[in-house]
Amino acid sequence: MSSKTQLAADLKLVAPWHIRAFPNREWILLLVLVLECGVFSLSGDNFLTRSNVFEITRLSVEIGLLALALTPVIITGGIDLSVGSMMGLSAVVLGGLWRDGHWPMPLAVGAVLMLGLVGGLLNGLLIARLGLPPLIVTLGTFSLFRGVAEGLTRGIENYSGFSPGFLFLGQGYLGNVIPAQLIVLIIGAIVCWWCLERTSFGRSLYAIGHSSEGARYAGIPVGRNLLLVYLASGLAASVSAIVYVAHLGQAKSDAGTGFELMAITAVVLGGASIFGGRGTILGTLLGLFAIVVLQNGLRLSRQPAELTGILTGALLLITLVLNRLATFAGVRKGVNTDALEFDVKNSQVAVLSAVILLAALLVAGSNWWLVRSLQSDRRVEQPGKSATTANHRIQVAMMPKAKGDPYFVSCRQGAEEAAKELGIDLLWDGPTDLDPAKQNEVVEAWITKGVDVIAVSVENQAGISTVLRKAREKGIKVLTWDADAERNARDFLINQATPQGIGNTLTDEAARILGKKGEFAVITASLSAANQNEWIKFIRARLAEKYPDLKLVTVQPSEGDRDRAFSETQTVLKVYPNVKLIMAIAAPAVPGAAEAVKQAGRTDVKVTGLSLPNMNKPYVKDGVVESIVLWNTTDLGYLTVYAAQALVSGQLKQGDHELVAGRLGKIEVVDDEVRLGSPFIFNKGNIDRFDF
Amino acid sequence: MKAQTFVNKHKREFSLTLSYIVLLVLVALFAPSFFQLANLRDLALNNAGVLIVACGMTLVILTGEIDISVGSQFAVCTYAAGLLAKNGMSTIALICMVILIGAAMGAVSGILVPRLGIPSIVATLALMVIWRDMLRWGSEGAWVQGLPQNFQWFGLGQTYGEVLVVAIAIGVFAAIAWCLQNLGIGRFFYAVGSDSEAARLAGIDSRSVKLNAFLIMGALTGLAALLNAIRFSIVPGNAGLGLELKAIAAVVVGGTAITGGRGTVAGTLVGVALLGTIGPALTFVGINPFWEKAIQGAIIIAAVVSDVAMTRFSTRQRFRLAN
Repeated sequence: MSSKTQLAADLKLVAPWHIRAFPNREWILLLVLVLECGVFSLSGDNFLTRSNVFEITRLSVEIGLLALALTPVIITGGIDLSVGSMMGLSAVVLGGLWRDGHWPMPLAVGAVLMLGLVGGLLNGLLIARLGLPPLIVTLGTFSLFRGVAEGLTRGIENYSGFSPGFLFLGQGYLGNVIPAQLIVLIIGAIVCWWCLERTSFGRSLYAIGHSSEGARYAGIPVGRNLLLVYLASGLAASVSAIVYVAHLGQAKSDAGTGFELMAITAVVLGGASIFGGRGTILGTLLGLFAIVVLQNGLRLSRQPAELTGILTGALLLITLVLNRLATFAGVRKGVNTDALEFDVKNSQVAVLSAVILLAALLVAGSNWWLVRSLQSDRRVEQPGKSATTANHRIQVAMMPKAKGDPYFVSCRQGAEEAAKELGIDLLWDGPTDLDPAKQNEVVEAWITKGVDVIAVSVENQAGISTVLRKAREKGIKVLTWDADAERNARDFLINQATPQGIGNTLTDEAARILGKKGEFAVITASLSAANQNEWIKFIRARLAEKYPDLKLVTVQPSEGDRDRAFSETQTVLKVYPNVKLIMAIAAPAVPGAAEAVKQAGRTDVKVTGLSLPNMNKPYVKDGVVESIVLWNTTDLGYLTVYAAQALVSGQLKQGDHELVAGRLGKIEVVDDEVRLGSPFIFNKGNIDRFDF
Repeated sequence: MKAQTFVNKHKREFSLTLSYIVLLVLVALFAPSFFQLANLRDLALNNAGVLIVACGMTLVILTGEIDISVGSQFAVCTYAAGLLAKNGMSTIALICMVILIGAAMGAVSGILVPRLGIPSIVATLALMVIWRDMLRWGSEGAWVQGLPQNFQWFGLGQTYGEVLVVAIAIGVFAAIAWCLQNLGIGRFFYAVGSDSEAARLAGIDSRSVKLNAFLIMGALTGLAALLNAIRFSIVPGNAGLGLELKAIAAVVVGGTAITGGRGTVAGTLVGVALLGTIGPALTFVGINPFWEKAIQGAIIIAAVVSDVAMTRFSTRQRFRLAN
């Protein structure tokens, strides 16, 4: 027996340990991970703490589950783009069965798991039985699943109020340390690892990935195994959806948007070949954590969210290029594989090593720069005026719903102005697109970082309130601005206008323009946007109550895209010729609608809505846009920072009736709300006075 | 006889056109007002950019690769067009610059994919994130406002501007269709896509063919971004969201094989028309917009399934005839 092993070793049939443990050079990732941890423990606040380590794992569970299930899919040379959409569908079905169908939770969960299997079955049948390319099939089901989820809920339904027992799965801690859902990920990882490494089924997947024809000749039931792989990925998507719902405490049709790309990135980063035949669970997990640690670390180091995307992309490319180069270099001294022999000269190896070294230096250099820029940031800080004590500057962390949105960009101007006046450290970060899960992540990072005040513009009430309550328990003051969380989750709300106020003002403005009689159409953001749906609700209520002759004929989506708003408005104008007013209730939608009306030459149609003065100035002056409704957004940011400072220094507390906020003067405080004032109507006469 | 082979060769395109006609007839029955001239003009205009991008995507997919970074490239080009125009660049220079910027981004994919051997879906996935987040970082979401008068419609006025946009789109389409059929480089795309090794043995440098495909894709994306931008007087910071999916879906529905080597831009044209019609048509017919995504997904699946079904049917028939 031992002589046999010896013989095998002599013939180099058995690979050395480092190749067996890391068949796809996953050690590169391990190195990256160590490097990341090293850099972030220097640059980030409280990065290397036990609670942060577990927080990182909590955030990685949903994407991790998808990535685990995608690993076998990618090993067979396939891909599944539909997992994120399947999460959305599973989430709303879970919510619907539980709330509207009054199913007991375990039964609903079972049904959702079945649904995941059915979705997987659809993909699997089309791919395995009909031999269709996985990319196309799952591109189709990517739209289909999400579309059915939106259709079922009409985009509006938002299921929340789940029982604490269920929420424990996503928010609780085992023994007060370990996040509950981590267990799900660990079980998933072990099952996947065991199936892939220790069963003939798993090994057959590698064979299929290398050559499905060859595998067929070897007697492997290719079709059946492929079907099983896609079934598993559908199932994983539904499990992931359940964890997601429990984590955020809400089920909506936009759950898991974009998760498929994150999961695929993790798998490919982990050394799996997108062409199939290569990949390990260990690699996938390393890839996953490389991304998640990067995100978390950058956040704790106060780097903008955009940098995360850029670095993740760069990391993916660099790893792949390194891997590629190493393959060329490694073949020479490699074990006796059946790979093609490459003729590699010493000089080439030297060049390769130089490139690798250079890349490493680049990475190290940029990290050093990162650390340095942070330190210089701190050095530049000057002693503030009123609020700062000798050795502690107040840190206010402020989060918009979406960073790139012009609305929030203008809020930031005001916030920074106030921070400068007060000598406060302002952190401004948040999701780049509307994303409730990301908002939670950012708040978690801020709790770990230990800021003084967290001020959030809330995308999803139920989801974020748990984390905000946690922040309050840790002694952090919590404000909400622009949109509110649950009342007991924050100290004060900076209220610019209630949804009802906005709805009423918009409706009154429409009535004024149309003379209380006529038809109008609404162009909203996305069909599942919570804010807009709330406004529409109040618009309808106001119509029913006060303006019976005013008719809202249709609501069309713009997805926050100016060009989409443009084409939707064109269609609306033709389908409903009696519409004399377009009400666009998303900032980019108003100029889109205005341009459409202008190009159609319909001088009898007016545009109004909720938007920013600057991007509408030309249209307001043309007379296409009659008026826009908004509050002064820079003042909103300004007031929020002032309120934060007052809260920390004790100048603002429950029962106060006013707050002095710099250039804004005295601001009214009612109960736990700081009121900016009612919405403002911008029109031809006054719009030039504003610049935001 | 010859007509027969022509039909046979382009069966996919014909069957697709047929289903498009069925859709149009249905729309005509339920909402005849869909066919008013103004609506058709708007449809053509709104889909001109998508058509140009989808033509480029056809080339990339023909070589067996894919580019999912076009939406982000589109956003970068749109923003660049706004900035350059604001700084007083002349129209001709503006056109050249934007196309160059697009081509440069295409070149990055074109070098990463064939030269360094990184799978295109992964490389362009990374680039998709990198381009868009770099734009977000740089622009901070701000829009470009206060553009000079001659930016909108190149200063030609709405009527001529509209004609120009549609004419350029049709021109690009016709040029690519002609080149693919009649030029050596056109046939190379097919050769590389259907069997890269055979193409290599035939003396075709598949890497430079693929580089070309990505370059053209990038340049066309730049052109499409510019043509879209000049239809408005303001330039947004987040254009082209989801454009990559629109383009890929149109190409695939149009019968181009995702594995490369098979397909025509004529099919892509019908694919763009079909997917571009559905959205507005639903509004005209009065179906709730909530179902739009689901219907689009179903159409993509139906298109590929019918393709397979048809191939199986025709091979069976040929088999029967041979016997």
